[in-house]
Amino acid sequence: MTLAHLDLAVLAALHDIMGEDYPMLVRTYLEDSQARLTRLLEAQDPKTLRDSAHSFKGSSSNMGAAGLARLCCELEHLPLAAPQAEVCALREQINSEFIQVRAAFLTVLATDAL
Amino acid sequence: MLGHSPSISVLIADDNMTDRMLLSSIVRRQGHHVLQAGNGEEAVKVFEQMRPHIVLLDVMMPVMDGFEAARRIKALAGEALVPVIFLTSMSEDEALVRCLEAGGDDFLPKPYNQIILAAKIHAMERMRRLQATVLKQRDELARHHGHLLNEQRVAKAVFDQVAHSGCLGAHNIRYLQSPYALFNGDLLLATSAPGGDLHILLGDFTGHGLPAAVGAMPLADVFYGMTAKGYGLAETLREMNAKLKRILPPDMFCCAALISVSVNRRVVEVWNGGMPDGYLLRQSGERLPIPSRALPLGILSPERFEPTTQFYSVEEGDRIFLLSDGVIETTNHDETLFGVERLEAVLDRNQDRDRLFEDIREALQGFHGESRDDVSMVQVKVVDTASLPPVALALDRGQPTPTDWSVNFEFRAQTLKRYNPLPFLLQLLQEVQGLKAQSGDLYTVLTELYSNALEHGVLALDSSLKRDAAGFAQYYQWREERLRQLEEGYVKVGLTVQPEGRSGGRLVITVEDSGAGFDVASTLARVNEGVAYSGRGMKLVKALSHGVSWSDDGRSARVEFAWGAEA
Amino acid sequence: MSAVTASPSEDGRKLTIHIDGRFDFACHQAFRDAYEKPPRPKDGFVIDLGKTTYLDSSALGMLLLLRDYAGGDNAKIRLENASSDVRKILAISNFTQLFDI
Repeated sequence: MTLAHLDLAVLAALHDIMGEDYPMLVRTYLEDSQARLTRLLEAQDPKTLRDSAHSFKGSSSNMGAAGLARLCCELEHLPLAAPQAEVCALREQINSEFIQVRAAFLTVLATDAL
Repeated sequence: MLGHSPSISVLIADDNMTDRMLLSSIVRRQGHHVLQAGNGEEAVKVFEQMRPHIVLLDVMMPVMDGFEAARRIKALAGEALVPVIFLTSMSEDEALVRCLEAGGDDFLPKPYNQIILAAKIHAMERMRRLQATVLKQRDELARHHGHLLNEQRVAKAVFDQVAHSGCLGAHNIRYLQSPYALFNGDLLLATSAPGGDLHILLGDFTGHGLPAAVGAMPLADVFYGMTAKGYGLAETLREMNAKLKRILPPDMFCCAALISVSVNRRVVEVWNGGMPDGYLLRQSGERLPIPSRALPLGILSPERFEPTTQFYSVEEGDRIFLLSDGVIETTNHDETLFGVERLEAVLDRNQDRDRLFEDIREALQGFHGESRDDVSMVQVKVVDTASLPPVALALDRGQPTPTDWSVNFEFRAQTLKRYNPLPFLLQLLQEVQGLKAQSGDLYTVLTELYSNALEHGVLALDSSLKRDAAGFAQYYQWREERLRQLEEGYVKVGLTVQPEGRSGGRLVITVEDSGAGFDVASTLARVNEGVAYSGRGMKLVKALSHGVSWSDDGRSARVEFAWGAEA
Repeated sequence: MSAVTASPSEDGRKLTIHIDGRFDFACHQAFRDAYEKPPRPKDGFVIDLGKTTYLDSSALGMLLLLRDYAGGDNAKIRLENASSDVRKILAISNFTQLFDI
């Protein structure tokens, strides 16, 4: 069974690597990502936008949030001439995707604690 | 699992805490020690303090990005190899190009694959250790080389002491030799015999370095020692060969060219064993090669070594030129040899013999030959003995000296064939303190009288034969033949020393041979007319001694030397 | 890289050593092994220089070592098929007086 927004195989590997530090890793990611997401949503110039998208893509892919990583990749590679509407649309998608990812992780953490 | 690397310290720099935490765990699980940094600047600082073995750098970081950090870390590392692996989620091709341009050694894409990371760390660590080994060996090599150079310096200093008794500085000798020629096996010696003859040796030992140099010292010792005592080329060669045969391993030997220049007798005696052709350059422009006819020294056992020398007549102004094979074997970048033909072309073109070395050097440069350490050349000009510096005198050691004695020798056929009694006789006479100052003249006179007695008397050779080049060669050929076939005959030498006054004395030398004698009266008459080569010897004897006379039949000569009483 | 190979004659009484390429110091060990390892041939040695391109003084030294090993003055050693360049080197050092060429 695959949770729609997280790759379970990756999570299993992470669990394996981190051992008892696994929850801390997830919590770090969630906190970090929150800040990163804010920066991305509020970015004014193209460079900041691209860099934040790139960075978010990296950690998300490491954590198994493949969908989120893909969206960030799209945003990162948007041509400069792209209409502002497209940029906003992508940003919205990333935002909602992250909310899903976050919920999924919290669930995982909860079930783990059992 | 992969063959695991020994535990090393790894620096992980990433501003993304999640990624950094994850990567640190992965690396720690592989058994390594982890250092962390949150940006490029911090990474450089940590590197400087802790000197990790491998560095993992995220590309995009605040304050200082990964590329700049990589540059600085590489600079701090210096000669040592510190592998830098970039962490990136860029697309493959783009990543590779930029990382390589920044000086990185590899890159690791995100998401991290721990197996790939382990493999990369393993490979990088092997490279790092390889580089460290190379540097260590290089330093060790440099150290050894330094020792070697020092040993050579010491060996050279010792050798120079042995060689200092030579006279390479005489003004009729010009030579060219690299200061390190000795360590390529090249040897150049020159010294005077008591009678004023000049002996020169140009040698080339097999091998390089100290083994080549070490053989040179005993050889020089023999060369100087025997020449000083008055021995000729043949005896000196026999002794040098025997010595080298004894002390050198079987695969080492010494190619050599030896010459004896006798200005008095207008003769050059040569022996060449294994060296390239030497050349006799006459005033007339004629060029005679002196080829190698014998095996090099140190190969044949003493019983089988029979040195045969060649004789050439020379006039004042003629020159003898010897060279080592460094000249011939100089190669240019096409791997062509300079060769004998080119050298002979230079000899032909050269007009001013004093510029011969410069001409050859120019030719070598024009040939674009790589310059070599073993190019040695020597040139001897036949000059009037009077212009040469006097031979060094033995010091008065204050020993008791025999002042009143006489002795008679009869050297018969078997002795005449192989033994040269002159050095021995000179040795005897040198015991007499008052005669030491006249050693040179004594030796010249003794040589002259003995040669006359042996060649004209016992062997019945006509010296007028030596008038021209063909006759000259014939003369010496017959000399060798007749000496070999000699069964009967003798040369008697008598020495009488008597004191005169308080500290003076008189020496009488008588030399008698078993030959047919000659017409003394008419020969002396011809001498006074200034004609005939054969008379030159007589003139010389007259000039050097305090009186000379012959018996009527010419078979016996009597010469006197005196040394004064102090005023 | 030069090659040194040894081939004994059928009856084992003679040993032929071939030298391909440059005969210089690098061949030192191979040359020694070539004549020391096989049993001593009663009729002596033959050195085939047919493919030898170059000979230097260390090669001359190696020949002297072989001569020493093979009985010194009584050694039976023949040098065959030398090129004119190689022959020239042997001539200048008068090795014709020591070996059959």
